[in-house]
Amino acid sequence: MGNEETIKAALLQKFPQLEGKCEIIRQRRITLEVDRSRLIELLNFSCSELKFNILCTITGLDVGDDLQFIYHIANKEGIVMNVKTNAPKTDPVISTVLGIYNGATFYERELEDLLGAKVEGLPEGRHYPLPDNWPKGQYPLRKDWKPENINQQNKKEE
Amino acid sequence: MGRIEIPLGPQHPALKEPANFRLYLEGERIAASNVALGYNHRGVEKACEQRTYIEDMYLIERVCGICSHSHSSCFISAVEEIAKLEVPKRAKYIRMIIGELERIHSHLLWLGVAAHEIGFDTLFMYSWRDREVVMDILAMLSGNRVNYAINKVGGVRRDISEEQKEQVLKAVDILEERTRYYIDIVYSETTLIGRLKDVGKLSYEDAVRFGAAGPVARASGVDRDTRRDDPYLAYDEIPFNVITDDHCDVLGRTIVRAKELMESYKIIRFALKNLPEGDITTRSPRRIPAGEALSRYEAPRGEDVHYVRANGTDKPERVKLRAPTLANWASITNMLDGGYLADVPIVVAAIDPCISCTDRAILIRYPDSRNENLMDWNSLRKYSIDFYKNKGFNAKNIRMNIK
Amino acid sequence: MVIDKVVNWARIKSPWIIHFNTGACNACDIEILASLTPRYDLERFGILLRGTPRHADILVCSGPVTLQTKDRLIRIYEQMAEPKFVVAVGTCACSGGVFQGCYGVSGGIDSVIPVSAYIPGCPVRPEAIIDGVVKLLNSLKNK
Repeated sequence: MGNEETIKAALLQKFPQLEGKCEIIRQRRITLEVDRSRLIELLNFSCSELKFNILCTITGLDVGDDLQFIYHIANKEGIVMNVKTNAPKTDPVISTVLGIYNGATFYERELEDLLGAKVEGLPEGRHYPLPDNWPKGQYPLRKDWKPENINQQNKKEE
Repeated sequence: MGRIEIPLGPQHPALKEPANFRLYLEGERIAASNVALGYNHRGVEKACEQRTYIEDMYLIERVCGICSHSHSSCFISAVEEIAKLEVPKRAKYIRMIIGELERIHSHLLWLGVAAHEIGFDTLFMYSWRDREVVMDILAMLSGNRVNYAINKVGGVRRDISEEQKEQVLKAVDILEERTRYYIDIVYSETTLIGRLKDVGKLSYEDAVRFGAAGPVARASGVDRDTRRDDPYLAYDEIPFNVITDDHCDVLGRTIVRAKELMESYKIIRFALKNLPEGDITTRSPRRIPAGEALSRYEAPRGEDVHYVRANGTDKPERVKLRAPTLANWASITNMLDGGYLADVPIVVAAIDPCISCTDRAILIRYPDSRNENLMDWNSLRKYSIDFYKNKGFNAKNIRMNIK
Repeated sequence: MVIDKVVNWARIKSPWIIHFNTGACNACDIEILASLTPRYDLERFGILLRGTPRHADILVCSGPVTLQTKDRLIRIYEQMAEPKFVVAVGTCACSGGVFQGCYGVSGGIDSVIPVSAYIPGCPVRPEAIIDGVVKLLNSLKNK
């Protein structure tokens, strides 16, 4: 458990507001919650200082009034940090992490397409993974969205 | 720098597809490229939320037919972690054995497909014939050639008998001999080397920067393998080597996969010889208590990541899947730019994309003229084989003599 | 009449196939390719896998039709010359399979184009593919 403790200590030292929000859930797994205003700073620190330079993926979730984004980052010792941040559905804006993790494009496009998040700084580009003719405003991964919404549209077209 | 778009398009040149594959050429070389994906999007993650964990197991297995066991095991491990289940050792070993058999079938499949892309159909036929050996073993152990459904929450569905162990060991012996021959060819056949060397270069720095995974990363010298770094199941009890290579090109990716086959044979032998006694499953609740888990698995194509959040009911709250190929698409632009158009088929094939290779079209735009050419995958493949034939590399001339 | 019989015979003796994946998990596609390999060897029936729909008699389709592939599927079907036949390979192609009800898929192949033969299985064994295609050819013989 040695390394996980060192990492947690380093994080708390640099970001004291994480006190109580940073947990070692098991061997090689750390979870923490951060405010979205400090997200980029934290990810930058984790990548450059703590060597968490692998972005496994970004999970977006619908948690009621908010959208939650979890950045799963790993280092080469196999330790994974789940960095959680929230944004209200009325203002679902987060910053892009492309400056830190170059491979993040597809993961961030997915957040925009499937959850209706707005990723600031993400360059213009094709939809992923939804098709180009997907109707605007339909976000499949939101809890209130039903597959019938789109099936109705399809049936109307035929 | 542009991003790469991979198309799935009709073959008619006049139809302007919102081309998923855009290559900007300068002479024979690719100056920039563009990628778009998503045609395989089926809405699996949403569907998972509306089905029970048991139904999800069968759905997730079918995310990809080639690495179905990887997805299934990864998902099940996350669910078991949330439910705090103690999976019996024997079940973990069986999962590993099936997983390594899957790696073998996948790498042999890749060898054949890559050979096909460069016109070396003999190797395609040979490697797929060998692959049948593995398919038979998997069918014997699990009941199906593909989509083995060997997992259940808390363990595995079927046990391995002593007789079956003998059969598996025999099959592994045959395959090892054949693989040794393939490795020989890769190192010694000039035609093959001519087609694969210095093609699709991805430097170590770029591999790390773009988050490449699996054999693609390892062929660029990145020493990363989830089985060793973040051990799951019982990989921390099995001695094996992580194969890396410094070529940073398609030849490197071929070598890595071929040598990984040898390592898989070692792992299977060790696992069978040391298969622990005991149960193959443990009781599991239908309702999984609230919690979350992230599990990683080294699929044949690279690191597979599953995130599961449970909410106390028998249906998951959220399931997130990151298949390994997605991690590699970001590096494809780097590999293609500066290379020949004729190398496109093999470079794309070398990341072992988990999408069907039958129907892809390429829109080629020449920067100096207003001309646009829509090429379909088969034409591009033929073009690339002819291009290299003119340079003296004709894969049809390679003689293979193997029993 | 005689011409018809001769043409029919030629068609049955050497059907040319085009394969299209409408968003499947690849398992059926791999088994289709596997049926070309030495163990199952579809080619001994005169069956040839072609790259373009214009040369093909039979469209072998796998996968539940995803939204992105729907148009392409229709276009490929329209590019084939008459008479043409469609074989739906796999449970997903027959009815949507495990992906029934998912928002990204429209269902079996027959929700988009007419299907002549259904081969269920998940994935379909190469033997079943050969069986299905041979059954289709036999039914043509009787026309």
